This record gives sequence, C-alpha cells and structure tokens, in this order.
Amino acid sequence: MSRMLTVTPGRCIGCRTCEVACAFRHADAGVPGRSRVQVRAVAKDVWVPMLCLQCDEAACVKACPVLALWRNPETGAIEVHADRCVRCNACVVACPFGNMAVESPAKAVVKCDVCGGDPACAQFCPTRALEYLEV
Amino acid sequence: MLNLDINGRRVTVRKGTALLAAIREAGFDVPTLCHHEALEPYGACRLCVVEVREPGRSKTRVVTSCNYPASAGLEVETESDAVVHTRREVLDLLLARCPGSSVIRQLAASVGLRRSSYPPDQNRDNCILCGLCVRVCEHLGYSAITLAGRGGGREVAAPLKEPPPDCVGCGACVRICPTGNIPLVDRDGMRRVWDRDFEMVRCTGCGRAYITREYLQSRVASSGLPASHFELCDECSRSRAAQTMYQHMVLGDKEASHE
Repeated sequence: MSRMLTVTPGRCIGCRTCEVACAFRHADAGVPGRSRVQVRAVAKDVWVPMLCLQCDEAACVKACPVLALWRNPETGAIEVHADRCVRCNACVVACPFGNMAVESPAKAVVKCDVCGGDPACAQFCPTRALEYLEV
Repeated sequence: MLNLDINGRRVTVRKGTALLAAIREAGFDVPTLCHHEALEPYGACRLCVVEVREPGRSKTRVVTSCNYPASAGLEVETESDAVVHTRREVLDLLLARCPGSSVIRQLAASVGLRRSSYPPDQNRDNCILCGLCVRVCEHLGYSAITLAGRGGGREVAAPLKEPPPDCVGCGACVRICPTGNIPLVDRDGMRRVWDRDFEMVRCTGCGRAYITREYLQSRVASSGLPASHFELCDECSRSRAAQTMYQHMVLGDKEASHE
C-alpha cells in the first residue's frame, strides 16, 4: 500500500504550522523561510499550503541536466541527490508549481521528500489540510 | 566490498570507492575546496591529504584522498603529524595567494595560521585554480571556460580571453566556486558574467528577470519540456498553482455541493 501527501486547501487556516514543522525537520535553525512547504494566501482568509506534488511526469526530473533527481521507490517522492546536484537551478525554473526551493545561504536546491515516509507537516497540521493518506 | 583501516577503525566500503568518500563514510572529516561529489576528483587544492600505508609496506605516503582509490588492507591516518604539517603548509601557500578570501582565512585560522609565512600576493583575485568552475561547465555540457596558461600565468579563462560564445549564463560556476571569486551581476534585465552580457527573460507574472534567454533555450531543447514551463519565475508559478488549486478544489467543491 502506497501513501501520498494530500493537500485539501479548503481546510487550511493559514496557521503556517506546517512551515515551522518542515523547517525544524529539515533545517537546524527551524527558520520557516527555509521550509519546503509554503502557505500562500490566495484570497481574503483563504490559504493554500504549497508543496511538491510528486508529479508522475515531473518537469524537474526532465529539466535536470545532471540526473540529480529521481523517485524514491519506497516513498514515491522525488528526491534531490545533493551529491549530484551542481545547483544550476534548471529544476527551480522548470517546476510548473514553483515547488523547488533554494536554501540560503548554501544555495542548495531542496524539495519535499515526504520526510522519508513520515511527513512532519501532516503530523502537525491541526486541520488536516495536509494529510499522509493511503491511496 | 573491501576492508581498510581509517584512524585505527576497520571500515568496509564498496570496491571503486575513493578514499575521501570512505573517510567521510566512516565519520571522519577531511577539509576540501576543489571537491564536488558530482564531478570527477581533481586533486587540485591538496587539502584532502592523508597518510596511507599499503599492506606489506613499511613506508607511509602522503596522498590526496579525493583521487586515491580505497584498497583492501590500506591503513589511513587523517590527522597524523605528516598530514597536519602538509595541510598547514598548503594552507600557508593558499593564504599567501588569496589573503583576501574569507574561506581561506577561516581554514587557515582552523590550523592556527593568522598570517602567511610567505609574502602575500596583493594583486591577485581569490581564484585558487581548483578548476571547479571549468569542470561544472563541462559537466553541464557547455564547456565555455577553461584553464589557460602555465605555471604562474595559469588562470581560468574563456577562449581567446573574449566573452565565451558557448556560455549560457546559467551561473553554476558562480555558485560552485569555493572562494566566491566569479563575479555575476544581474541588473536592469541583463546578466553580466565572464565579461559577456546576457539578456534575461522576464517572468510574465511579476516581471522579474530570472533566467537568461540562452539558458532557457538550452533547457527547453534538452529537457523536451514546453517553453511555457519556463514563462513564470518560481514565485509566480507557486502563486498561480495555489490559485488554481483554490479555484478547482475549494470553489469547485462548493459549486458541486450546491447542485
């Protein structure tokens, strides 16, 4: 049984707990700006948590000239392999959803990897706008 | 698989592993400046030196670990007197070459060097000739720049020292340079790197100039993705996708529930 990180925008209350949870999981400092999920306000009092959708035909994978991105068969998430990435930022530009992030100050390209199968954002989302569901 | 000893600890690695990778896998650290895992090891900065003893030999040797293969029975010391002495000497020379580089100064300070014992070269930039920029450019398939000249005149340069015709202005060289020595200026919708001016494409959403036209064309051609994927900057792509999700999933849901 595979699982998928799902987004239900109608439930998001814009509390940005997911951003903080992500930043604490992935960056030592817990700086929300370094988070791989970003809550976007789309209208008054309406928010959408934006994070990698793990596309089947992923533009980032196609755009990468050095084959540094591939899908982890266990989690189904596309992962950036830092040992191959040369930070050309092709994937950042190619992603139609703008979900590749550049982490400063190292300028490393990062994206959601569903925390290796235990996404912190879904764990802490108080309204289940983000869920890690069996599909 | 093969076994070797690193700082007295037995380590098992795959055949073909470079010594540097084996050392890092074992949890020890060796400083490097010219190493990047995506690129072929080059052995230029000489900071990754370690002391090795081949099995059956009595003498040890100091070698660069990045391009030295891990082999069965090898004994490796990463902090022996010979290693510390060599590394300090290398940093002393690098500090004399690039007294203005904060990265070099920090590394030198970590071995107790505040000032080089050689006369500092004030006229030079912070290039340490590690070749990372040249190698990443080649790896990306552009090969726009190269190492030119010999001896004291060696430098990273474009062919004929003119603005490189094969450069696409992607900036990978700028980001990979360990001393931050390659200037790149984005201003008024233009990018200047390697003395060449590039026209930037502006995001159709916010108008921010975010990629050079040459790099965009190159990525469209080699990825097979439609050019429309590259029309918006990442920020605008994200905002637009959020809007789309809202309209389809929130407003769409409400309309469906009214019916």
